[in-house]
Amino acid sequence: MTEKIPKSLEEIPAEVIETDLLIVGGGNAGCFAAIEAKTKNPSLRVTIMEKAHISRSGATAAGMDAINTYLRTDKGETPEGLVKWSRAQVGGGPIREDLALSNAKILNETVDMLEEWGLPFLKDEEGHKQLRGRFDVSIHGEQLKPIMAEKAMEMGAQVFNRVAATNLLMDGDRCVGAIGFGVRDGKLYVFRAKATIVSTGGACGIYKSPTTDYSSAHHQTWMSPFNVGTGYAMGIRGGAEMSSLEQRWVATRTKDFSGPVDTLSVAFGCMIINAKGEKVMQVRYADKGGDKAARFYRLTAPMTEWLEGRGPTYIDTTVLTPEAAHELKEDLLNERPSFVLFLASRGHDITKEPVEIYGSDPYIVGGHTGSGYWVDIKRMTTVSGLFAAGETAGGNPNKFVGGCGAEGRLAARGALEYLEKVKLPPLDTKQVEKEKERVFAPLLRGPEYDGVTGIEMEERMQRLMDEYAGGIHQFYRMNEERLDHALKNLKMLKDQTKYLYAKDLHGLMNVHEVIDRLDVAEVLVHHLKYRKETRWPGWQTRMDYPEIDPKLDCFVESSRDPKSGEIKMFTRPYEQIIPGDRTKP
Amino acid sequence: MEKTKVPSKVGLFIFDPGGGLARAIDLEAVLQKLTKAKNVARCEVIRDLWETNFHDSIKKDLAAGDINRILWVGRFSPDQEKKIQSELASEGLNPYLHEWCDLGEQGIGQNGGDGVDRGAETQKALILIQMALARTRLLEPLEPLSLPAVDAVLIVGAGVAGLHTATSFMDLGKRVYLIDKESGVGGKVASLSRLYPRICDPRCGLEYEIQKLKESDKVEVHTLSLIKSLAGSPGNFEVTIEKRPRYVNEERCNACGECMRACPIVIPEQSTPIPLFSTAPALQGAMNLLKSRKKAIHPATPMPYPSAFVIDRMHCPPECRECVKACPTQAVELEQSPSEAVFRVGTVILTTGWDPYPLSKVEEYGYGLYPNVISNLEMERLLENPPEFRELGFIQCAGSRDERHLNYCSSVCCSATLKQVRYLKEKAPDARCYIFYQDIRTPGFDEELYQQVKSLSDVIFIRGNPSTVKPEGDTGKLRIRAEDTLSGKEVSLSLDLLVLAGGMTPSDGSRDIAQLLNLPQNNFGFFESHLQCHPEESQRTGIYVGGACRGPMNVSQSIESSHRAAMEALAFLNETVLIEPTYPVVDVTKCDKCKRCMEDCPFTAFYFDANGFPAPDLAKCRQCGNCMGTCPIAAISLRHFTIKQTAARIQAIKASFIGKEEPVILAFLCKNDAYYAARSAADSGLPIPPNVFFIKVPCAGSVSNALVADAISFGIDGILIAGCVDGQCHYVKGNQLVKTRSGDLSDKLKKMMIEPERVRFENLEIRDSRRYVELVNSYIRELKAMGPNPFKV
Amino acid sequence: MPPKTDKEKCDSCKAEKETLCEQICPGDLMTLGEDKKAFCRMPRDCWDCMSCVKACPKSALETRMPYQLGYHVARLIPMMGTNTITWTCIDINGKVERFHYKNRGSDE
Repeated sequence: MTEKIPKSLEEIPAEVIETDLLIVGGGNAGCFAAIEAKTKNPSLRVTIMEKAHISRSGATAAGMDAINTYLRTDKGETPEGLVKWSRAQVGGGPIREDLALSNAKILNETVDMLEEWGLPFLKDEEGHKQLRGRFDVSIHGEQLKPIMAEKAMEMGAQVFNRVAATNLLMDGDRCVGAIGFGVRDGKLYVFRAKATIVSTGGACGIYKSPTTDYSSAHHQTWMSPFNVGTGYAMGIRGGAEMSSLEQRWVATRTKDFSGPVDTLSVAFGCMIINAKGEKVMQVRYADKGGDKAARFYRLTAPMTEWLEGRGPTYIDTTVLTPEAAHELKEDLLNERPSFVLFLASRGHDITKEPVEIYGSDPYIVGGHTGSGYWVDIKRMTTVSGLFAAGETAGGNPNKFVGGCGAEGRLAARGALEYLEKVKLPPLDTKQVEKEKERVFAPLLRGPEYDGVTGIEMEERMQRLMDEYAGGIHQFYRMNEERLDHALKNLKMLKDQTKYLYAKDLHGLMNVHEVIDRLDVAEVLVHHLKYRKETRWPGWQTRMDYPEIDPKLDCFVESSRDPKSGEIKMFTRPYEQIIPGDRTKP
Repeated sequence: MEKTKVPSKVGLFIFDPGGGLARAIDLEAVLQKLTKAKNVARCEVIRDLWETNFHDSIKKDLAAGDINRILWVGRFSPDQEKKIQSELASEGLNPYLHEWCDLGEQGIGQNGGDGVDRGAETQKALILIQMALARTRLLEPLEPLSLPAVDAVLIVGAGVAGLHTATSFMDLGKRVYLIDKESGVGGKVASLSRLYPRICDPRCGLEYEIQKLKESDKVEVHTLSLIKSLAGSPGNFEVTIEKRPRYVNEERCNACGECMRACPIVIPEQSTPIPLFSTAPALQGAMNLLKSRKKAIHPATPMPYPSAFVIDRMHCPPECRECVKACPTQAVELEQSPSEAVFRVGTVILTTGWDPYPLSKVEEYGYGLYPNVISNLEMERLLENPPEFRELGFIQCAGSRDERHLNYCSSVCCSATLKQVRYLKEKAPDARCYIFYQDIRTPGFDEELYQQVKSLSDVIFIRGNPSTVKPEGDTGKLRIRAEDTLSGKEVSLSLDLLVLAGGMTPSDGSRDIAQLLNLPQNNFGFFESHLQCHPEESQRTGIYVGGACRGPMNVSQSIESSHRAAMEALAFLNETVLIEPTYPVVDVTKCDKCKRCMEDCPFTAFYFDANGFPAPDLAKCRQCGNCMGTCPIAAISLRHFTIKQTAARIQAIKASFIGKEEPVILAFLCKNDAYYAARSAADSGLPIPPNVFFIKVPCAGSVSNALVADAISFGIDGILIAGCVDGQCHYVKGNQLVKTRSGDLSDKLKKMMIEPERVRFENLEIRDSRRYVELVNSYIRELKAMGPNPFKV
Repeated sequence: MPPKTDKEKCDSCKAEKETLCEQICPGDLMTLGEDKKAFCRMPRDCWDCMSCVKACPKSALETRMPYQLGYHVARLIPMMGTNTITWTCIDINGKVERFHYKNRGSDE
C-alpha cells in the first residue's frame, strides 16, 4: 500500500497510551502473561505491543508439534526431576534452579490450559497425554498461536498489532513503559505503564545462517528470523543485567533446511549415524550418556564427524515403517510445514534414505538455554518495573513452549504485585522527542541520501560474527584474538549506524532490527571472551581454552552503562537447591 | 464460546406411530447404538405422542435436570412442533433446545421398501440421527430480542401514491410525515385532464384524499422538502429533512389572493419556445393555453394544499415589495431561509413517482424544434378547451420500446392516448385524429376503450411510426411521412398538431434518493425490489417503495401499489421491533476485519461497531446467513445454525458406511427452493438412493468453504450445493456468491490432485423433485467412475 | 520459501485497507504491488510459516522451495476446515501424500 513518507519529524503523529501493564511482544509468553493478568484482575488495563500480528507472530507462527515440558505425574515425574534433567542437559549448569523449580511447579497447569482452550493433544490408550520423550507430549499445534491470541483478546487485552518496540521509557532507573513505532501507520507510539513485561523472544540473525548465500533462502533458519533480540537490546541500552549470553543455543538440525530434528530422533527413536553407518552417539559419546547425552554433544557429534571425514551425518529414518514416516511428517506439518515440501522437492523417501543433519547457526534463546535477562524469582529484571518472560528471560534453559507460557504467568503475577505500589510519573517529553528522532532519522534522510541500508549492515554483521565469533562456518570455534577483532568491528558498525537509511516503514523496521542485533552482538562477544573455557562445546568452543575451568562454575553476567556505553562483566555464584550430581539427570 | 457449562443430556424420542419406520429399518439395532451414544440420557420409540405417561415422564426428567434438550426423530407437522415447544417451554425447556430430525424427507421408508437395501437404509438412518444428535449437543437456549421502535412513517412524494399511502395509515392511527419537493401535493396526476377508463377528473380523487388528510391530527405535510440524510435502522430511523423557504407564513396565509393581484411579475413558461410560425390562429390559441399565467407569488402547485401561497423568488426584482404591502395578514416573510427538521420514524416509504422521457432526444419528431409538436402530458392541458385543430396526429411508442431511448413499454400510453382521442372527439367532433402505432396495448378492461375509439368517425389508426416530421413551408402545419405496414403503402399527411405519446422514466427525485440511500436500481433506473412476491420491498430493510417510482403504471395501479407498500411497512410500525434470536454473531477474537461480510450482505445490514469490528444491524438483518458463508475464517455464525453445529453434523457422516467404493454425497439444500424439491421427491415415493445426505440451509450462500473443506477432508465423495435460479434468489445474490466461492474451492481441489467436480453448485426449483433424484443419481454414477475420495478411510 | 501469487485469483482482497496476507505475515513481507496483486516484498526474508497461504480466501498463494534448496516442482497445499486442516503434498515425481488432522478441539 502506498505510504506517505514524512519529510520532517513534525509531520509524524505521536500516540500516547496509558495502561497498567504493558507487554512487549505478544508471543507465547506474552499472551499467557496477558491472560494471567486479566484472569487475576479483570479490571486491569493490559496492553500488548506486537511488531507483527499476535495471531501468527513469533516463533510459533506456523505452529508446534509438541510441548516439551510436561510432567507425567502418574509416571512419577516431579518438578525436581525436571530441574535435574534440565540441569544435566546444559552440562551441569549454570542454571537458576530457583527459577526452574518455580516454573516447573505450574507447568502442567499451564499446559492443561491450552487443552482447555481447544489445542488438540494426542492421547495414549489410557487417555493420558501421549509422551514422545520423557517430558515431551505430542500435540497437533498448527493453531497454537491463534488459540493463544484469541484467548488473550477474549480476556480483554488491548492489542496493538504492527507496532515495533524500539526502547524502554525510563524514569531515572525505573522502567515506566516503552516506545515504538507503527510499521503500517508510521506513528510514534508511547506506552506509559506501571509495569512492563518484555517477552520479545530470542535473537536470531546475529550470525550468518548456513543458507545465507542464497537469494531466496536467507531466512532458512530453525528459529524465527523475525525475533531479532529487540527485548534484550532495549534492556541492554537501559542498563539491565544480562546473564549467560555465552550459553548460545546451537543445535543439530536437518541440513539445508535447518528444521527440527527432535521429532525424528526423540519421538521416533531414529539414531544419529555417519556415512560409515556407525551409530555415532553410542560409539563416540557413550561416556557422555550416548543417545541421552547433553544437547551440545548431540550438536558437536555430526560436526565432528564431518570435520574428521566420516560425514555426511544422518538421522537414520530408514528404520521407520511407511506409517511411522507418515505420522512423522504429519507432526512436522504442525511446526515447520515446509519441511514436508523440502523432502518432496528432493523426491526424498525417508524410509529409503536417511535425513542428513548438520548444525545450525547460533541463536540466543533463553527458552532453550539460560541466556537472557537476569531476573529474580518474581521475574523482575535488574531494572525496576521491568519484568522478563519466555525466551527473553534467562537462567532457565529447556523451558520450551510450556515453560515460556508458565513464565509469562509468573511474570504477570510479579508485575501485578509490583504495580499495586507504584504510580505513573509525568511523561518525560524530552525523552520521547529524543527517541522519536532516533527512531525516524533513517527515514528522513532525503531522497538522494548516500548511506547504508539495514540489509547491507545486517549481512556485514552476520559475516563478521560468523567468522570471528564462532559461527557455523567456523564450526563454532573461537579464540581471544578473533573475538577482539569482532568487537572492534562491531564498534565500527555501531558507529556507522548513523548512515543507515530506509525508503519505507518496512525498511525502517529492518534498520532497527540491525541496530538491536548489534547491541546484542556486542554484549554477546563480551560474554564469549569472559568465559575462558569450553564448558559446552559447540555452544561455545574456545580453541585457546579447550578445557573446563572449575573456577568458572558460575554465572557470567554483564551490564552496560546507559550513558557511557561501557560494558561491565562480572560473575554470580551458582546456587544449588536440588542435591546430586549436576551432570546427571 | 459455545462451551455449554452444563453438559448436554439429550432425550431422544423416535416417533413411529404406524410402525413404518420399524419396517423400513432395523430399529432395534439403531436404538441400541443410540442408547449408548454420548450425552444421550434416554432413548426410546414413541407410538403415541399424546400419551399422558410420556408427557409426565418428560416433565419429570426436565424438572430433575435429567434431560436438558430433546431430539425428536420422525415426521411432525409445524403445528405439532409448535405445540410441543410451547408446552415444554412452560416446563422450563427453552424452545430452541429442541432438534427435529425427519428421516422420511431424506428418503428413509418412503418408497414402500421396493428394491431397497434394508441394511443400507438402517445405516443411513442411524447416521442421520447421529448427525442430528451432534447438533443437539451444541444447541443453546435463546430468547427473542425486543428493540424499542417508533410508531411513525415517513412518506416521500405526495403524488397520488403518496397521498393514498398516507391516508391508509391514518385509519391505523399511525403518525405520518408526508413530504414533497414541490410547494403543494398532487404530483403528476394533478396536471392530468381526465383519467381512463371513466374519463373522470383526477382532481376529484386527489381532493378526496386531501380532505381526509386535513381531518387528521396525525399527519404532517411538509412541502418544498427533500431528504438530506437517513440514519438508524428499521424501526428506528432518524431522517433529516431540508426545507426550502416558502417566503409565506403557512399559518397566517388565508389564500385570499391579494398578493397575487398586486404582483407585477408573470413567470415565463419554459417548456414551449416562442412560436416560429404565427399564422395559424388555432396554433396561437394553443400556445396561449400552454403559456403560463403564473405570477411570482402564487398558490401551491400542483394542488393548493397546503393552502398557503408560495413565492418563486428567482423571478422577483430585488426591491419589489408589492406582495408584502398587499397582504392583509402580514403573511409574506421575505427573510425566510432554508431550514432542517428531524423526524424519528419506524419506516420510510418512497413514492417519488416518475418524469416524462425528454422527447427532444427523439430527434426525428422535432419536439422542442416545432411548437406544434407536444408531449402527451402537455396535451392534457389542452384537452379541457381544445383549440380548433382539424388534423391531429398521435405517435405511440415515441422513444419507447427503442434501444436508443427507453427499451421498455410504459404500459400506459396507449390507453392514455385513446382516452385523449375519445375526450377530444366529445369536445371537438370534427377533429380528425391519426394514431400512428406499433401495437395497441390495452390490457384487461381497457379493451372497451379501444373498441369505443375504433368506432368513432374520423379516427384513423396507422400501423407504423412516422419516419420524418417536417414543417410545411409557412403554413405552420407539419408534414408527416410514414409507412403503413399493414397495407404496405406510404402515407403522407399534413397535420396541425402532433402529440408524442412519450414513456415514463424514474423521476429525478427517485434517482437522487437512490443515490443518497444507496438503494439498488434496476437497469432502467427504477427502484429494484427483488422478489416477484414482494414488489414493494426494497433491498434495504425498512424502506419501501410504492407507485410509479417502481415502474410505469397507471393511476389505479399506483393506488394499489401504495396500499401494498403501506401493508408491508406495518411490520416496522409498532412500539417494538421483535427480532428472532437466530441472528448472526461475529466472533471478534477471530475476526480480522476483512469486511467481506459487509460487502457480501445483500441488504447492507452490517456496520462498524465501536471497536471497528463488523456487526449486523439486527433490525436490517434478514438472517439469510450469507455473512456466515462468506467469512473466510468462519468467524460468523447464525445463532441456532452455527458453523460448529453444522461441522458436527458433517463430521458425523461415516463416508464408508456402505463400503468404500460406494460414493457418499452431502447436499446443502437452500430452504426456499431446493429443500422442497428433495422433500417432495421423498414424499412422493421417488426412490432416494441411500448415498445422499442433505442439510437444509437458510440460503445456498450461507454455506462456508470451511464446511465444504471439512466434508472433503472427512472423506465425503461429492458435495452438492443447491440454490435458487439466478434472479430468483430470495436473498438477491446468495446463489451467485456461493457459486463463485465453491468455484475457488474447486480450483484448490484441482491443485490438490482431487477432482474439482467433487464440489458443485446446481439450481433447483421448488418442484424439481424428479430433477433432484436424477441429479443425485447421475452424480453417484460420476463419482463412482472417479473412484472414492482419497481422504476416505 | 517465498509464496508465489496466482495473479488471476488474487483480487487484492477487493482493495481493502490491508489484504489478509498482509495482515498476518509475521515478517511484514506480504503487500500489494503496483499491479494491485499480492506479492512477497523480500523473498529472502520469508520463513515459510505459510500463514499467508492459509489466510488467502481465494487460494491465490502457494509456497515453493527455492531452487537453491530443492528441485522443481513440489507443492504443499493446505486446506482449512472448521476444526481440521488438510495438507496435500505432491513431490517432484508426482507422488501424492495426504494428511488430515484436527487442529482445534478435543474429540467430542
